[in-house]
Order: sequence, then structure tokens, then C-alpha cells
Amino acid sequence: MVDIVLEGVTKRFGAQVAVDHLDTRFASGEVTCLLGPSGCGKTTLMRMIAGLETPSEGRILIGGRDVAGLPPRARDVGMVFQYPVMYPTLSVAENIEEPLRHDRRLSADERARRVDEMLDVLDMRALRDALIDELNTGLRQKVAVGRAVARHAEVVLFDEPTTNIEVDSKLQLIRAIKSVTSRLRQTIVYVTHDQTEAMTLADSIALMEAGRIVQQDAPRALYAAPRTRFAGWFLGNPGMNYLPVACRDGRVEADILSAPIPLPAGVQAGALTLGVRPEWITVGAGRAEGVVTDRVIGIGGRRLLTVRHGGETLRIKCAAAEAPPPGAPVRFSVPPDRVVLFDPEGRALEHGAPS
Amino acid sequence: MAALADTAALPPPRRRADSHRGLVFVLLAPVLAFFVVFNTIPLLWLLGLSFHSFSLTSGQPPEFVGFRNYVQLWMGRNNFWGDLQRTFTFVGVGVTIQTLLGVGLGLLFWGSRTMPGRRLALTLLFAPMVLTPVATGTFFRFIYDPNFGALNQILLGLGLPMVDFLGNPRTAFWAVLAVDCWMWTPFMILMTLAALGSVPRAELEAAEIDRLPFRKRFTLVILHHGKFILMLGILLRTIDSFKTLDLIIPMTKGGPGQQTRLVAVELNKQAFESFNMGFSSAYAVYLLLVSIAMTSIFIFVLNLRRRRG
Repeated sequence: MVDIVLEGVTKRFGAQVAVDHLDTRFASGEVTCLLGPSGCGKTTLMRMIAGLETPSEGRILIGGRDVAGLPPRARDVGMVFQYPVMYPTLSVAENIEEPLRHDRRLSADERARRVDEMLDVLDMRALRDALIDELNTGLRQKVAVGRAVARHAEVVLFDEPTTNIEVDSKLQLIRAIKSVTSRLRQTIVYVTHDQTEAMTLADSIALMEAGRIVQQDAPRALYAAPRTRFAGWFLGNPGMNYLPVACRDGRVEADILSAPIPLPAGVQAGALTLGVRPEWITVGAGRAEGVVTDRVIGIGGRRLLTVRHGGETLRIKCAAAEAPPPGAPVRFSVPPDRVVLFDPEGRALEHGAPS
Repeated sequence: MAALADTAALPPPRRRADSHRGLVFVLLAPVLAFFVVFNTIPLLWLLGLSFHSFSLTSGQPPEFVGFRNYVQLWMGRNNFWGDLQRTFTFVGVGVTIQTLLGVGLGLLFWGSRTMPGRRLALTLLFAPMVLTPVATGTFFRFIYDPNFGALNQILLGLGLPMVDFLGNPRTAFWAVLAVDCWMWTPFMILMTLAALGSVPRAELEAAEIDRLPFRKRFTLVILHHGKFILMLGILLRTIDSFKTLDLIIPMTKGGPGQQTRLVAVELNKQAFESFNMGFSSAYAVYLLLVSIAMTSIFIFVLNLRRRRG
């Protein structure tokens, strides 16, 4: 098992910087999701790990070996592409077996065993001899996953594998990826712009913005404690509410807070921003008052309210039974230990809120 | 990807065909008229002539002779079968060499995308194809010349005996064939580059990551996507090569003896030197049938469904 270490990795296309001096480590045997909006450099980063792009600067270490100048075949990686890439003249089983054929260490029996194992895990035993033409894109992508994984490469890369798959095959595919990856414990880098997918699959999420990793954390930690305003906004559906707050007498006050927060040590009193997730707000009591607009969305047994609060618009998630009707006034608050404070540059502040 | 390509190849769905039927005919009329005037009528004329004995020099009107011209050719008048066999050798060997060289060089060019001077090299490589064959033929007659030709000067410099390439019955055919290859290999390079351009990048990348050896990348990925364009190139080359005339006339005029007399050379001679219009028409009809047969074989091969698993 190997880890992937990036040291000052940079990729420029002409004047444009796609990946900007990245330093990080993707832990061995874990699934790391590269998450971010399109154009943030996540695919470029992954292609550099695969060897399909050469970094303009920096080192890429796979298991301690610098591979930055090596072609893909000299690295031990498997990869699944955005489109299901198949060898169309071969059957399903032959597609999975093809990369194994060129590994001299594998006997014919071992190859057959791995193909069977893969077909079992993917639940595709019945389609063993099917031709690629006969499969839909979802099934093709499952075959591609099998082919990338069956070689038992130390690193497997996924480049938005579900983007071009029909919705109904998507879940199946994600389930297949999950069972394959948890079985083999390879080091996996998975690029996606879909946060639900990242939350489902990842042991660790590396959130990217404009060529940099802004935060790398376990999914829950990333969600609960975003380190930048961007992270708070990008994760969650919808993302965080942001409110300007005032500092008075060394304390941060806002009518939404059930108690004031002491200003963190060393922070100048200034224009701070308070971030709060829609589901952290409780309705029914509190000092803050607002009016429910008629934009109400039902999500299962819950309601997503849009509330006008002074000059601000807040999104609040609450149980359907507690939701006031549109046009009604509503009181709400949030406990100080749930909120995140951001400085004027958008960086999160540590604060010792009384819990 | 394959599915995408399949849908792209389908014609667009037909819409309100009935209400536009009149318009369709109006739009098609110019093309149809052109086709009839310049294609169908001359072809029928040719067919008609082939059943007549008609010499432009005799001053006699055409005389209907039925299948006599065809029978005479079939019986081997003017060594028809010998010429045909020689032509098939010329086409078979020439197109094979051009295809193999073209694919090989095409792959090299394709793999050298970062090589400096690549564009200039490509331009120079395509020059032979752009030259008119008559010029090429004349030009090579000088190169092959036994007394002051460049090639023999090189042989002389190397201490080898001089060869009269175009005058010697043992070398003339191959010397002409070599010029044909010099001229048309660039065309197959061009077709190879076009075929390679049609291969999706992701599939090549996947094959690279899957560590497939070159042989497998070529058969599984490149040929799968590029075979249609390559086969089209081979087909065009075959048909064109079958009609080779203008390259040979300035070099050997079909000689020495009949060593380089291909069917088109003989046809040209019968029609425009001996003015046997009826006989040469029958000759042309035979060649047309051979061309149709070759084209059909290619289309059949192209449409062969790949093996079922």
C-alpha cells in the first residue's frame, strides 16, 4: 500500500495556472475525493498523478518514488474516465482481462480467478460474454471500473466516472465502486463535483478552489467546520448562511445568537461574518425575528424556508410540523457553539464559544 | 463513444416529407441534370460504341458488330490478359507498399508532435502528391537515365555497375512502380493521420494506463476507430492506381517491349493513337466492370459485421 505525496505541484497552461503549488498527502488505502467547482484544477491534478500531464513544477511521490517525469505505464495506476472507455471488439470478461494479460507475473488461472472475482463484485456474471455494444453506459462504466481495479494497481484514479451516466444507473455504479474499493483497499483518488457522491464515498475530501486545496478533512469535519467561506458555501444544499456581525466590548453579538461569543484572542474587532448552516437554526423561539417568504421547498418531512431578516435573506431547514406558513413572522436562534466566524478575508476563526 | 458515433451516422429523422416532395425534386433537378448529361449519357454512348466497329481514320460510319470486340478481347487480342495481369501486380504490390509505408510513417509523424520542423517535413513529404504525374514521370526519366542520371552517378560513386533502369526489361516495371510509390505513399500517410485523428484521446490514454503493448493499442484502439478512413484510402488508391497512365507515358510509353504496358496505357493507345473507338470502348467497359468488382469487394469488407461473441 502506498500513499501519494504532492510537493509544490504546479501546472500552467500558457499564462493560465490550473494547479498552483500544491502540497498535500493522500493517505494510503483511503478514498480521497477531489471536490470542487468546474475549472478548479481537480481533473488536471488527477491527470498529473496518472502521468497524462507533466507538472510544470514540483514532485509527485507515489509510495515515496518520484514519478513526475515518468509515463503512465511506468507508474502503477489504474484509471476510470468520464466516458466509459472500452475495447469495443472484446467481450466484458476480455475487457477486464486485457490489462492483466500483459503482466508476466500472472498465470492464466490467476487471471481467470481475478476476472471472475471482479464480475462477482460488480454483479455482472451473467454478462460475462456480452459484447460492449449490448451494454448501456452505466454497465459499460462498471466494466471500466472492473478493468481499472482488477490489475490490483496500487493507485486507482476516478475522473468523474458518474457524470455521463443515466440517473438510474448512477446509484448502482456508485454502489459498485464502493464495494470494489472497500474490498481491495487500494489508494484511491476520486474526482467529482458532486458533493453527495464525495460524502458517500470519501474517507477524506480535498476541497479545491482555483488550483489550490483549501481544505482536506473527513467529510463530517469538512461539513461541520469549514475553514473558509468558500468551503461553507460549496458544501451543503443549500450552503451556509452568512450574516455580518458586530463586535462590542470584546464580544461578538448578533440577535440570532442565543448568547454572545467572546472575541477570539488576537482578533481585531472588525467586520466579521457569521456562518450558520440552514439546519443548525432552530425556529419558534429566540431574539431574532423575520418573515417567512413564499419560497418554501419541501424535502421529505422537512421544509426549507426562505426568511427575510432585516436586510438579509436566510435559509432555514426545519421539521414540517414546526414550519410557519408563508407570510407569517418567525422567531429563531442558533446556539453559539454551532456557528463559524470568518474574518474579512473569509478565513474561519477559532472561537471559544460557551456551549 | 461507439454509441455516439452510431447515432451521428444515422440520417436525421424525416419530417413532413409529403408537403416538401415538390420542393425536393426542384432542389434535386440541377444535380440530376448534371449527372445525366455528364455521366449517364457518355456512359451509354460508350456502351453503344463498344458494340460497333468504328475507326476515326477510316472515314467509314460505325458498323454494328455485336459482341465481336468483347469476344476478341476475351480471346486475348493485344495481349489483354497479359496487360490485366501486369496491372494487377502493379496495383497489388504498389498499394501494399504504399499502405505499409504510409501507415508506418504516419504513425511516426503522429508520435512526433513535439518534434521541431515537423510542419516543414510534412509539407515536403506531400510535395510528390501535388505534382502532376507527367512532370514526375519526366523528372524521373532523367534520374533513371543510364548516362547522366543522378541515380547512376550514385551507383558509379559506390563502385556499382550502371543500370539502364527504364530500358532494361528486368528492371523497368519495378522502376516505374518505385516512382508510383514515391508519389503516392504521402497520400496514405495523410489518410493514416486522418484515421489517427479520429481515435478518441481518452481511449489512447486508457490503453496507455492499462499498459497495453503497442501491438494491442494498434489493433484494439487505433484500427477500430481508424479502419474506415484507412480502407477508404486503400480503395481510392486502388481505383486510381488501376488507371495509372500519365506517370508511365513520359517514362517508358509502356516499354521496353510490353514490360510496363498497363491496361490504361494500352487503352489510351487504342483510342487516341490508333483511333479504334469501338474496340477501345469495349476495353473501357471491361475495365469499368473490374473497377466495380473491386469497389464492391471493399464495401463488402467494410460492412462485414465483426465477430459475434
